[in-house]
Amino acid sequence: MTVWAILQVLVLVFTVVSAALAVWLRDLLAAALALGAVGLFLSLAFYLLLAPDVAIAQAGIGAALTTAIFILAIRKTRRREEEE
Amino acid sequence: MSVVVRTIARMLVPVGLVFGAYVIMHGHLTPGGGFQGGAVAASALALILVSFSAKELKPVKGLLSALESTGGVAFVVFAFLGIGFTFFANAIAGMGGLFGQPVDYGPNPGYLNTSGTLPLMNWAVGLKVLAGLGSVVLLFALFGEGEDDR
Amino acid sequence: MTRWLRLAAFLVVAGALLLVAGQIRRFGEPRLAEMDLYFNRYSQDEVAANNAVTAIVFDYRGYDTLGEATVLFAAVVGVALILRKVKK
Repeated sequence: MTVWAILQVLVLVFTVVSAALAVWLRDLLAAALALGAVGLFLSLAFYLLLAPDVAIAQAGIGAALTTAIFILAIRKTRRREEEE
Repeated sequence: MSVVVRTIARMLVPVGLVFGAYVIMHGHLTPGGGFQGGAVAASALALILVSFSAKELKPVKGLLSALESTGGVAFVVFAFLGIGFTFFANAIAGMGGLFGQPVDYGPNPGYLNTSGTLPLMNWAVGLKVLAGLGSVVLLFALFGEGEDDR
Repeated sequence: MTRWLRLAAFLVVAGALLLVAGQIRRFGEPRLAEMDLYFNRYSQDEVAANNAVTAIVFDYRGYDTLGEATVLFAAVVGVALILRKVKK
């Protein structure tokens, strides 16, 4: 196990943990930020897989723009998820 | 948004715009290109929209629309430059002059005035992506803002 | 009942993915490498670009980029159409 492989596994674990947080959180703003963290960790994974082009595109689109759109949508609706 | 978000946004928006311009400009030398740089610059615009009100960017909407059309038309025009050989052939690579310097094989630092139509196409696609994604986020932000004329 | 169904579906999908992941090719060893070697060798001579990825995206595979630009344009037009000002 080199440092590179350990970093890859750590980044993928963080990705899955952030995705689970996005499902689990009740505060929709925090859930949107967790979804942005998924995009950021995915971009790190792409960078570790030697694809910096895809990493820049993923960091711009997946981590920043979709989070901004979610935050704008949450601002126009309500912040808490309704209990069933 | 709160004053913390506003202060950080004031610092980060110029950095994002400049980094997007750098990624577009050095697209033929370093990782990145038109699409990636345009996405980074558009995320800076989205940061303005999230942290401040949507009215700040409302006068820019016509400019963004014009930039999108200009980028698309310029991309196709640069593609038509190589129509004597094939569509999308790189007509002015290695011909000398601006953007026409040849490049040696192997690792080298790279120069900005190489690669023929590639930097011009990078700028066209970058402006197009910046204007397209920026106008998408701007339309989202302007939706339902009261007496707006979108 | 639904819970066990969900668990079974999860196990089947995860098992299939893991089964395929065991047979995946090693990183950096594609089955056919002629085109990669050609791009690595000749993109600097033909396109005069140090970044081979941009040389492929904007020169060798320019039609793909044109299609991508068209898709982006269609998406922006769709958003502008849906979020337009509604006449009362």
